[in-house]
Amino acid sequence: MSSIALITGGGGGIGGAVACRMAAAGITVIVADFDHGAAEKVRGEIAAAGGKADALSVDVTQAREVKALVTDVKQRFGRIDVLANIAGGSFYTKRIEELTWAEWQEVIDVNLKGTFLMCREVAPLMQRQKGGRIINTASNYGVTGSALRTPYSAAKAGIVAFGKTLAQELAADGILVNTVAPGPTDTPRVIGKESPEARKQRWSQIPMGRTGKPEDLAEAFFFLTTPESAWITGQTLHVNGGLI
Amino acid sequence: MRLDGKVAVVTGGAQGIGRAIALGLGREGAKVVVADLQADKAKNVVKELSDSGNEGHAVEVNVASEPSVKRLANETFERFGRIDILVNDAGVYLKSPVVDMSEELWDRTINVNLGGNFLCSRAFIPSMRKQKSGRIISVASGIAHYGAKEFAAYAAAKAAIIGFVKALGREVGSDGITVNAICPGAANTAMPRTHRTEEELMARLRANPLGHVLEPEDFAGPILFLASDAASYITGQGININCGSYMA
Repeated sequence: MSSIALITGGGGGIGGAVACRMAAAGITVIVADFDHGAAEKVRGEIAAAGGKADALSVDVTQAREVKALVTDVKQRFGRIDVLANIAGGSFYTKRIEELTWAEWQEVIDVNLKGTFLMCREVAPLMQRQKGGRIINTASNYGVTGSALRTPYSAAKAGIVAFGKTLAQELAADGILVNTVAPGPTDTPRVIGKESPEARKQRWSQIPMGRTGKPEDLAEAFFFLTTPESAWITGQTLHVNGGLI
Repeated sequence: MRLDGKVAVVTGGAQGIGRAIALGLGREGAKVVVADLQADKAKNVVKELSDSGNEGHAVEVNVASEPSVKRLANETFERFGRIDILVNDAGVYLKSPVVDMSEELWDRTINVNLGGNFLCSRAFIPSMRKQKSGRIISVASGIAHYGAKEFAAYAAAKAAIIGFVKALGREVGSDGITVNAICPGAANTAMPRTHRTEEELMARLRANPLGHVLEPEDFAGPILFLASDAASYITGQGININCGSYMA
């Protein structure tokens, strides 16, 4: 029986690479994304490479949509072995006095609340299965902070503490909860916003002498689904070329 | 296999976690130099490697001795011609309250556990730099984070390894070399047996969120991941493998 992985943000740069990596290992992947077209594109890539995938839409900030998504997956596949919460984003680079309450909430909700809602919906199923892997996505900014990204840094730090707590709550059922913390990664979303000078400057600060690729992250997410990581829980794996 | 054609050196490879790492690296196709103070036990591990069709070589080494580490490097290059993966696992675990601690115990703990990381890394990095790739993986300990009563020297050495790994990672990254540590939780090895009854030990080992007793083999997987191409963008990190007993 093939393992089933549910990946939010699966249509994005990192999420898409994670989906492809897992599918290449024989995992059936449900690519869930706010942008259905993006999810569908990743599903197509996986299918073309001979993997198994499905594409579904979800707004992870809406409890009703999260419930509908997980119910749909349960009905169709019967189980969820891996939940990778990758949906997120920083959206704004603004000084705090210019940041509206609605903008603050938007960033906190997509990153932190979305992770909570997904975990809350999937955990009971994994408890019944007596096993599962939950992998959440933080950021180096959750540790170092990042000027003009207060809600994003707060949400990502929150995800780390949330993950440790959930790991303690679910350990007795054989469910592992870990966090991957990407550094700046070359996704279309990041590259599109950055000047070549800014990119070069960023590069020069990274000990490994290059920027991160979505595939680097995909390997880390995949590692956390394998038997090799069976005794790792409540931890954060930083993939940032030594930046922090 | 992920490590075909690679050459690995595992210090402290004769028993416990080091042995499990050496055998794991062999299974993935690496040629393994098993380096240990206990030469006979190292030879046994090499025999285990060759029995399962893998290539190994035993070297007697004291990682706290400059000439001895130099000999280790020379023998590695003579035998296998290169170095891709260095696993710094050699260590001693000596107990004493700080107020009663001898300078000799302090020095030995720091020199073997921490100094061995320095001497071995220094000996192999020039070759890794030339080939623009390499993996250095140090076996630290969860005790680096939470300490352990009457093991202050050990805790200090293991925490220092984490600092060393972060600094060295920054130093050698531009040459394609990653430097990481693993931090094992308490495991079912000979090391803690010197200080506890069997019953105490097993109860303590099981007292973690996953309720699993960690065996030496459990640490090989994360080492193989860090040694593989899949982890080429991970450096300066410490990976906690402890069944959730400490979450960092």
